[in-house]
Amino acid sequence: MQNISAILKNVSKPGRYTGGEYGQIIKDKSKVKARVAFCFPDTYEIGMSNLGMKILYGALNQLDDVWCERVFAPWTDMEEKMRKYNIPLFALESKDEIKKFDFMAMSLQYELCYTTAINMIDLAGLNIFAKDRNESDPILLGGGPCAYNPEPVADFFDIFSIGEGEEALCELVQLYIDMKSKGSYSKKAFLREASHLEGFYVPSLYDVEYNEDGTIKSFVPKYEDVPKRVIKRVISDLNTSYFPTKPVMPYIETVHDRIMLETFRGCIRGCRFCQAGMVFRPVREKSAEVLNAQAKELYKNTGYNEISLTSLSISDYSCLHEATDSLLEWTNEKKINLSLPSLRADSFTKELMEKVSSIRSSGLTFAPEAGTQRLRDAINKNLYEKDLLNAVSLAFRGGKSMVKLYFMNGLPTETYEDIEGISTLASLVVDEFYKTPNRPRKPLTVTVSVSCFVPKPHTPFQWEPQNSLEMLCDKQKFLAEKITDRKVRYNWHEAKVSRLEAIFSKGNRRLSKAIAQAQAEGMVFDAWEEYFDYDRWMEIFEKCGIDPNFYANRRIPFDEILPWDVIDIGVNKSFMINENKKAYESLTTPNCKEKCSGCGANRLGKELTWCPNKK
Amino acid sequence: MYISHLDLARTMQRIITRAGIDIWYSEGFNPQPRLTFAVPLPVGVESNCELLDFKINSYMSCEEIAKRLSDSFPEEMKVISVYVPEQKFKNIGYIDYTINLFSSKLTEESCEIIKDLFSKECVITKKTKSGEKQVDISNYIKLVEAEKIDGGISIHTILTADNENYLNPEYFVSAIKNKLSILQDNEVNEYYTITRNNMLDLDMKGFI
Repeated sequence: MQNISAILKNVSKPGRYTGGEYGQIIKDKSKVKARVAFCFPDTYEIGMSNLGMKILYGALNQLDDVWCERVFAPWTDMEEKMRKYNIPLFALESKDEIKKFDFMAMSLQYELCYTTAINMIDLAGLNIFAKDRNESDPILLGGGPCAYNPEPVADFFDIFSIGEGEEALCELVQLYIDMKSKGSYSKKAFLREASHLEGFYVPSLYDVEYNEDGTIKSFVPKYEDVPKRVIKRVISDLNTSYFPTKPVMPYIETVHDRIMLETFRGCIRGCRFCQAGMVFRPVREKSAEVLNAQAKELYKNTGYNEISLTSLSISDYSCLHEATDSLLEWTNEKKINLSLPSLRADSFTKELMEKVSSIRSSGLTFAPEAGTQRLRDAINKNLYEKDLLNAVSLAFRGGKSMVKLYFMNGLPTETYEDIEGISTLASLVVDEFYKTPNRPRKPLTVTVSVSCFVPKPHTPFQWEPQNSLEMLCDKQKFLAEKITDRKVRYNWHEAKVSRLEAIFSKGNRRLSKAIAQAQAEGMVFDAWEEYFDYDRWMEIFEKCGIDPNFYANRRIPFDEILPWDVIDIGVNKSFMINENKKAYESLTTPNCKEKCSGCGANRLGKELTWCPNKK
Repeated sequence: MYISHLDLARTMQRIITRAGIDIWYSEGFNPQPRLTFAVPLPVGVESNCELLDFKINSYMSCEEIAKRLSDSFPEEMKVISVYVPEQKFKNIGYIDYTINLFSSKLTEESCEIIKDLFSKECVITKKTKSGEKQVDISNYIKLVEAEKIDGGISIHTILTADNENYLNPEYFVSAIKNKLSILQDNEVNEYYTITRNNMLDLDMKGFI
């Protein structure tokens, strides 16, 4: 470690690499039976803000026989020095190199982290392809949202955890310990055995055959005992499941440097473009009582002065009022701010407004996603213009003068009329401000932020092509010309980034060649503007004989075998197909609270107790 | 040691909250706890003695505060003492440092060169907000002792640290680096550590 300390003087933000924070878990390595290096393929500041990592770190360390440590991707200046002086990737707690661990677990949060993830395997001194690693190398475990279509990175990993991991990972590590102690362990035997655990996918146990046109001909398990489809894991009761209340406290400032309180999982809404809304089904809530107790415990153990209630759509939390009331009883006095991200415009009430106005932020964000009612119906957003105008009017009366609106370009069925609708809607928001009698005296800013639609696996739009780069750019230009209101600020998302996201999110195993090539050429941190290089990626695809259009811009027939069909998220394909067809008729589907639409996710509970409408 | 002054202040604020100490907040729209560190610690410098000043709203004994803080500190931070201040931070005049240089190029003779270097005019280039400036730092250096240790040299020095005349120990090191042509590129085999030992008042007596 003396070597590392010497280097740290010459890298940016050395606090990323030192560990030693309050709350970190140190165990006696001679006494534990399995060591897990939990790797996050992005910077410390981003990884330390990830709630999933906090949960899994805590859950694994609850086991006496297991020591889980943290590893983040070194920034390029640090990587350069590590390579120069042959310092392998190390874990923050023990500073031991990753090769010494039993598991190298990787959280895959975003497709553009793939090169960084693979680069971390390389920095650990391991072969990046699973088939090239040997018996004594750590088991490469993947998980996180990208594991719902693990195929583009399937060749690099030994096994994937599908769905919620806090119970599953403990079972997997326990199996490893048991097999080791019984002497029945070999990597091969372990992976075969692990494929029988619920929620684990071992890619090497499947044969994939392709048709000449590149589509999948067959995707079958190599052995009879290996499941044809892997059903995702879900936690059945959030009130009793593990939740970390003594997290590691970073010294340096992180992205979400506050208490993150998870209120519920899943979403009742069913927007047709949204992967999170499908893969986290069914909805499961935490009670206000448990939430309040966890908040108190977290405050005592962290000293943070901000609590954020997290979920996919906080205003759909059925005990929101009860929860905020019990929190505000003690948080105000202790000068703790309460923040409620992901508010829906149609459930933004005066009462809620008064509660959140205790936060000093002067702005509010809503996501209408589309400019016209027709398109909002097609994507099943179920939000009306009057709801949005009501919400902003309330916000203006409450003293806010900054409104941010999120939209998407390139949604299925979109026309130029819909795009113009974005500009119209923004102007209506501006008008609403001037109609408000007690509006704030501060100047108004309405920010319109437009991203590009990326078709995602396990959504009703998974068969949809993405607009071509030219079309997306043209639409962005068109909107720029339509927005003439000087109070409206217009931001758009780089279309090239969205295109690369589309290629990887709907990718198959053949993409691993391109990812390996990119890593070999030194590409890393694609999600960072300073390192994103679209043209370079296109060259790599060409070099590897991969046609990006095949992945991003092709309409897939409903009966084609999809690379991610091997993963069963609980929602039936027939439901997805039906939702896709309804989009083309601009027909909406009621949310889960109004009526059960029979998506199928409730079967994961094995009894009809979860979905709000089935209670 | 590897965190900035602002990060340390934020960390300390959270430690005090965890410790349940009722610290005095600033008034106004955005109340902030009032914490003051004496002479910000530069990134990369280790310290055996940092001074922090804060006010509390209700009485708590120094022993109780010390105990609560100790329980809330991360392992690498320790409470030395909690006391009611007798002098203000502006009375800090000097800081006592140990600087260890590690390089195979360092010999007994280097010790003499180092002592000699600061006994007369010693000009270095100082980067300031308004550009680069040539400064003679010899007046800021009150003591230089150097001895050969295994793998390098250990230097004990006292540098001025009052409000107007603060010398960052990095400048002291860079003067030596230039003079002896060491620590230029290979940072793994050649490196240095800086440790703050103590803060001294204007009479060069221990501040506490």
